[in-house]
Amino acid sequence: MIEQALVSVENLALVSALRNSTFMYPLVNAGHILGISLLVGSIVPLDLRLLGFWRAYPVMVFVDVLRVTAAIGLALAVVCGALLFATAAADYARSPLFQAKMGLVVLGVLNAFTLGRMMKRQNIRSLPMESSMPLALRAGGLLSLGVWISVLILGRLLGYF
Amino acid sequence: MPQLRFTYLVCFAVLAAFLAASAAQAHHGWAWATDEEFEITGVIQSVRLGNPHGEVTLRVNGEDWVVEVGQPWRNDRVGLTKEMLSQGRELTVHGHRSAKEGERLVKAERVVIDGKDYDLYPGRAS
Repeated sequence: MIEQALVSVENLALVSALRNSTFMYPLVNAGHILGISLLVGSIVPLDLRLLGFWRAYPVMVFVDVLRVTAAIGLALAVVCGALLFATAAADYARSPLFQAKMGLVVLGVLNAFTLGRMMKRQNIRSLPMESSMPLALRAGGLLSLGVWISVLILGRLLGYF
Repeated sequence: MPQLRFTYLVCFAVLAAFLAASAAQAHHGWAWATDEEFEITGVIQSVRLGNPHGEVTLRVNGEDWVVEVGQPWRNDRVGLTKEMLSQGRELTVHGHRSAKEGERLVKAERVVIDGKDYDLYPGRAS
């Protein structure tokens, strides 16, 4: 039944048009890459700040700016990614690489929400300058770094296996 | 401590780069295929056309081979249609096969249907 639903997604007019397009497909592909670059490009410096890099700069500067750009990047990557997925939905859905990637995306998003809550609860806004972050935040930052870079690698491998 | 963390990061980046590079070699362009010209004829079993490139499954002496044809514009350019690449049609493929031993995968440079040539890569000898 799931298989049937996926095939009917592939057969939607918009999805067929995208699959057989000359320019739309590579442009949606570019949108997906733009989203990923915004997401990873934001999350890496943010996580590194949590782990103790650039302590001379207030942590909230990183948090307030980079969480927004990361969220925008994620949204763009998800929208474009869903379109790319739809062009070969059944194939992607049964790929273990794709399943692992989606699992990690969910883990990464949950981790980001948890980190956000922990930041509020531990009130890092009022920590003295240059102090190191609470252990839970450092652990979350390290997890985030590992998860999002792994998502990127899995996504790239998907094109080749 | 930050120095130690930085070392870890660099190691991770190098590992990731290696993974990406070896994967890249495995597929796009022609680097993953042998240099030798390869020819194969069979009957089409199934077809998936579209981006990023079409895939035609060919039955050859009881074995299935996957043939990579062009993306939509490349097939359109030489006049290869969905009907020509449909189940049951006979197809001769000139191209390069995967360098991976035992992998029945060919990237087509030129296909022949009913005695007519469709040259997907006019710039390449086939």
